Amino acid sequence: MSISKACVIGAGVMGSAIAAHIANAGIPVLLLDIVPPGEGDRSRIAKGAVERLLKTEPAPLMTRAAAKLIEPGNIEDDLHKLKDVGWIVEAVAERLDIKQGLYRKLEAARKRGCIVSSNTSTLPLHMLMEGMPTTLQQDFCITHFFNPPRYMRLLELVAGPLTRPEISTVITNFSDQKLGKVVVLAKDTPGFIANRIGVFWVQAAVKAAHDLGLTVEETDAVMGRPMGAPKSGIFGLIDIIGLDLLPHVDASLRQALPADDMYRTLPADFPLLPKMLADGYIGRKGKGGFYRLNTSDGNKIKESISLKTGEYAVSTPSRLDSVAAAKSGLRILVTHKDRGGKLAWAVLSKTLAYAATLVPQIADSIVDVDLAMKAGFNWKYGPFELIDKLGAAWFAERLAAEKLAVPPLLAVAAGAGGFYKLSGQGLAQLDTNGTHQTLARQSGTLLLSDIKTTSKPLAKNSSASVWDVGDGVACLEFHSKMNTLDPDSLTMLMQALEITKRSMQALVIYNEGENFSAGANIGLALFAANIGMWPTLEQFLEQGQSVMRALKYASFPVVGAPSGLALGGGCEVLLHCSAVQAHAETYMGLVETGVGIVPAWGGCKEMLIRHLPGPRDAKGPMPGIMAAFEQISMAKVSKSAAEAKDMKFLRVTDGITMNRDRLLADAKARVLALVAAGYKPPVPVELRLPGPTARAALGLAIENFSRQGLALPHDVTVSNQLATVLSGGMTDVMDVLEENRIFDLEKQAFMTLLHTVPTLDRMETMLATGKPTRN
Amino acid sequence: MNHAVIVGYARSPFHFAGKGALARIRADDLAAAVVKELLTRTKIEVNDLEDLLLGCAFPEGEQGINVARLIAFIAGLPLTSGAATVNRFCGSSMQAIHNAAGAIALGAGEVFICAGVESMSRVPMMGFNPMPNPALAQQMPGSYMSMGITAENVAKKYAISRLAQEEFAVASHHKSATAQQLGKFTNELVVLGDVAVDGCIRADSSLQALAGLKPAFDQNGVVTAGTSSPLTDGAAACLVVAESYAKKHQLPILARIKSIAISGCSPELMGIGPVEATRKALKRAGLTMADIDIIELNEAFAAQAIACIRDLDLDINKVNLDGGALALGHPLGATGARITGKAAALLVREGKQFALATQCIGGGQGIATILEAVA
Repeated sequence: MSISKACVIGAGVMGSAIAAHIANAGIPVLLLDIVPPGEGDRSRIAKGAVERLLKTEPAPLMTRAAAKLIEPGNIEDDLHKLKDVGWIVEAVAERLDIKQGLYRKLEAARKRGCIVSSNTSTLPLHMLMEGMPTTLQQDFCITHFFNPPRYMRLLELVAGPLTRPEISTVITNFSDQKLGKVVVLAKDTPGFIANRIGVFWVQAAVKAAHDLGLTVEETDAVMGRPMGAPKSGIFGLIDIIGLDLLPHVDASLRQALPADDMYRTLPADFPLLPKMLADGYIGRKGKGGFYRLNTSDGNKIKESISLKTGEYAVSTPSRLDSVAAAKSGLRILVTHKDRGGKLAWAVLSKTLAYAATLVPQIADSIVDVDLAMKAGFNWKYGPFELIDKLGAAWFAERLAAEKLAVPPLLAVAAGAGGFYKLSGQGLAQLDTNGTHQTLARQSGTLLLSDIKTTSKPLAKNSSASVWDVGDGVACLEFHSKMNTLDPDSLTMLMQALEITKRSMQALVIYNEGENFSAGANIGLALFAANIGMWPTLEQFLEQGQSVMRALKYASFPVVGAPSGLALGGGCEVLLHCSAVQAHAETYMGLVETGVGIVPAWGGCKEMLIRHLPGPRDAKGPMPGIMAAFEQISMAKVSKSAAEAKDMKFLRVTDGITMNRDRLLADAKARVLALVAAGYKPPVPVELRLPGPTARAALGLAIENFSRQGLALPHDVTVSNQLATVLSGGMTDVMDVLEENRIFDLEKQAFMTLLHTVPTLDRMETMLATGKPTRN
Repeated sequence: MNHAVIVGYARSPFHFAGKGALARIRADDLAAAVVKELLTRTKIEVNDLEDLLLGCAFPEGEQGINVARLIAFIAGLPLTSGAATVNRFCGSSMQAIHNAAGAIALGAGEVFICAGVESMSRVPMMGFNPMPNPALAQQMPGSYMSMGITAENVAKKYAISRLAQEEFAVASHHKSATAQQLGKFTNELVVLGDVAVDGCIRADSSLQALAGLKPAFDQNGVVTAGTSSPLTDGAAACLVVAESYAKKHQLPILARIKSIAISGCSPELMGIGPVEATRKALKRAGLTMADIDIIELNEAFAAQAIACIRDLDLDINKVNLDGGALALGHPLGATGARITGKAAALLVREGKQFALATQCIGGGQGIATILEAVA
């Protein structure tokens, strides 16, 4: 049984975004809603939803073309189209009567065995299926997506007592491989896993902030990064979710949870809530919540609400010692004497203990709970990993010392040396019987972090390492801050090439950082330029160029496997690989002009080559040059791997992996396939460029942009240097240029620009603020 | 001397490039449809056809390979007739009419189709491969100057305010919208599938809406997208024959070509080109501006049109009765045939004696045609 076409019913925010993500996977999807009363197009709700998808930020769709895979319709006229649909996702209003009415309608329309799932977050499966035909119950499950579905990796899957086992398998495989989801099997209990613990965490923190007198900034500073949660923390998160949803979420949990559940000890709301809702402060989707942007005097000023007075004032960053001290460990944070430390203990002691009471009630294993919190709330560590950070025994003792209940599972962990343990086979998790069982990864999943726990690198320096990932494949891992590239990274890349040549078959370039690489380390470049170390700079540049050359023409295949940002030098590394296997969420671009320079490790050269006209493009020397110029001068970055293909940062033949955890395995398979096919390095490209003629054409364009106010003064300087590189310098269209000539031009332009003050200003601002300056 | 007369005029609906209804139609198919329909309407004996002269400003890509000849094939013209693509940028298809008039005067043929086409959707302005001469670009920046900047230059030199331009543009839209409403374009339009009417006219154009637009070419300038003619797809064609031929075959004559002229000017001020061209043409016709009853002045930009009106002291009530390019659109290669054919048709419709059709040309030229009613 496979799913070659899907259907989502309910074209609200969640339903339409789920349909968008199914389309991202290349699967055609019907999107149906009701026929609204009144005249007009009977499918206008779903059609409007598709139009909205194209305008929503962050984009639910990976490319505009994916929208064409969504076929809008309505549930009165289009149910006959369900006959070739393998999976129907119901995402209509959270009302039992509406959902059950729809299910009855679907019984007649769906083909035999077609899976029906509900995206409900509040209604249990046993209620949804009450009185439903057995045939439906056998094909039914809950698939709970998190918002926004493209970006939030968690999918909670709940199967009922009659659900056919293969349904879980099909949904798990499809969601894992096609949708890139972390699929966690949850029990049919209120809030499933992530919301059960996440809402507890939020409510506990709101209460503690009031009890201990912390500001919203302080609360978020403590509950964000120090515990490995997103920096939005608690109040920032409520603003994102919407304050208006809070009472509903609370009420649905409260009425469904058992009488002795710890959640019931927390207050349902907080003093300010009614007034904030009455004043329309419902969060980011409205005019603000705990935080707001005050634009009344023309400036955007971030303000926050006082939990005591309810008045807004200019937001002031938290300056808690405990937050600074938390860098030395979670235990330092929760034992710190200031109010930040007290808040951390108050919230984590409750939340982590609560989690420990819930296995096996809500999930079969602790790792499922950790996975759910990591993928559903973007925590860096799950609750059981956090307990291990504190020390399970220490945590149990502290709870006991404070006369708080020690959950039995925690007591077991305290005695067994923690929830997780490293064994010879890798990581093992504590089961409910108190023994550690080795974690089995899904087949097709390969994590460098697993390999790293059980082996030593083949080579290593401060910025990068080389690992043996099996089957004769080496893996180069960047691990500097933001994975920026410095001379050490380049040295290790060169060494990886040498090691592979000597003793391996092939190389992949991959890491498990948030970003593949943010580009060359401009801090180093700025420092060298400021003290006039021009030879050092030139050396760094030339080192990069010769490494890229060696990479491109290596006798064995090299596959780059990016996820997240691959900018500037990081993008250039990928441009020189034999092939790329990219995670779907890969954002590629040559952004050098933003810091006042031009790509000089072959980025200009490779984009000239990539933009050579294909059979369907306009012929002649200019279109490719103009396309490369537009992309690089405007520092365009792809918003997905699929879009990177449209922009030619990726080749049409490059692969895209939807599931982050499968990226290394897919990259390895790709590089081994290249080996098996008898890999030969590429033949050098000979370029014919029009030189000064192209330079004049681009010069005219730059002048027009400048007059239109679309280019700042230094943009003009940088663009003119870029124009010289992309034109081929002092060449003629009758001459043939070798790739090295473009390397030379890149170097010239790069060094010239580094001698200008505005370029150094751009670098300085970027390093200080993370944003480009306008000069 | 053999006089040339215009005995037929037709055009496609004009639509915005890129997003308009004609964006997916090739220029050759578009022009061929108009040529074919013109022949049907005029019921001319096609074997008398000497030549298809077709104006096109960027004759490359789908508009390349002497596209006139290919259009002749698509339109099913007899293989015995000829076809040439004429390029004088925006003046291309008016030039095609001049070429025909010259040939007729020389006795080198009696029947000519003078057409023009531009798909600005499918062949970009400046072409696919803009390759300026670097030395010339440096010595004489005007030679490759953007048209918008030349409009800014004209606005500055002739002190034409942004408001004056916007008033002119609104008037053009309102004239076109009214003409459209009254069906005054019906006779000239060739229906293409389900595309039956013009697509660029904004009946609701207002000073308020235009005032909100940002300058399009110079951030400190006064020319906006609203006071510039839009990038447009379209085709137009005139049937030009010897007067003796027309009389012999009892063809309904719209107008006689009385005189023609070309004039060069500074490329930085190309929009002022019509002034000298018109003066030359008037002189050649032995007329003064007071004699002219109907004027078709191409509106590449409101600024240059106003400058020409002021410099030539034109009576605004005689200018562009059914609106101009600001509202209708300006498919570069097709515009000359449109305004010349339109001026001829207006002479008949309004029952007047003399008409002027004139336009500015990128690179610094003006072109003008004076038409005369034939009793």
